[in-house]
Amino acid sequence: MATTATISIASDIAPGFGGISNTMTLTKAGTLNEIEETTGFSRRRLAATTLVDLIIMADASLIQETDDNTAHKVYIRNIGDGKGNIDKSTYVQIGIGDKAGTPQEIGRLYGGDWMLFPVTGVDGEDVTAAPEKDNPVVLEYVMFYQV
Amino acid sequence: MATTTAAVTLSSDLLSDNMSVSASTTCMKAGTEGDGLDMMDYGYIDIPTGDEYDLLDANNSGLNTNKANKLYIANHSTDETFYVIVAIDGVIGRLYAGDWMFIPWGAVDQHDDIEITANGGTNTLCYALFHEGRTLTAS
Repeated sequence: MATTATISIASDIAPGFGGISNTMTLTKAGTLNEIEETTGFSRRRLAATTLVDLIIMADASLIQETDDNTAHKVYIRNIGDGKGNIDKSTYVQIGIGDKAGTPQEIGRLYGGDWMLFPVTGVDGEDVTAAPEKDNPVVLEYVMFYQV
Repeated sequence: MATTTAAVTLSSDLLSDNMSVSASTTCMKAGTEGDGLDMMDYGYIDIPTGDEYDLLDANNSGLNTNKANKLYIANHSTDETFYVIVAIDGVIGRLYAGDWMFIPWGAVDQHDDIEITANGGTNTLCYALFHEGRTLTAS
C-alpha cells in the first residue's frame, strides 16, 4: 500500500528558475512504513463567514488517541461554489486550533488554490476554515493519518 | 504578467478503490483574478538542532500582510528519523525527511514567522516563497 503526493511548481518570475518537482511517499513518523489510515475524500459547503472546524482531530482519532508524534498530512482545495464557478479573488481562511478559541491562522486559500501540510493530530488542534464572504464555497479535503 | 503554477497529484490505494486527485492553480495576487504573484525567494539551508529558528520572518521581511503568499518547504534530510517542527506562532506539524508542504502564508502579524525546530540532527530544507513584494529597509 502506498500514498504518494507529487508537487510541480513552474514559474517565470526569476530567470533561470528551473521549477520544482518533488514526490513524497506518506510514511509514519520516523519510519519508512507507509501511512495506513485516511478520513477519505470529503467535501464541505460553507455559506457563511462563520468559523468552522473542518477536520476535528478528536474525530480522526476515534480508533486511537493521537499525539504530536505523528506524520499526519492534510490536503485541502477551494473549488469555488462547487458548480464549476471559481472566484480566485475570494478566499477561505485556514487555521489550526478550535472554533471555540482563536485558531492560529495559516493563510488564505483563494478560489482554485490548494494546500498540503502536516498536522500534529493533537486533540483541539483542529483544522479550521472561515470563508471571507457569505457566498457558497466548497472545500475538498482529505487527511492521511497514523494510529 | 508573471505566471506561477502549482500542481499536485495525490494518489492512494488505502481505500478499496484507488484514489487519485490532481489539482493545479495559478498563483494570483490577493483579491485578483488575473494578476500573478511576481516576486519569489528561493533557498536551501541547513537547520541545526538546539533552537527554534525563523526560516522566514513575517515582520522584518517587510512582507505585506494578509496577501496570497504561497510557501513550499521540503525536508531534504535522508535519515527517516529526522524531522523539523514547523510553526507559525503555534505548531502546525512535523515535516519528516522526504516530506514537503505547500501552504498559503498570511504573515498576518509580527508573530507569524515561519519557525523551524530541527530534531534528530541537522536537517536540510529547500524552500520557495512566492509573494507580492516587500518593503525594503535602508541600510
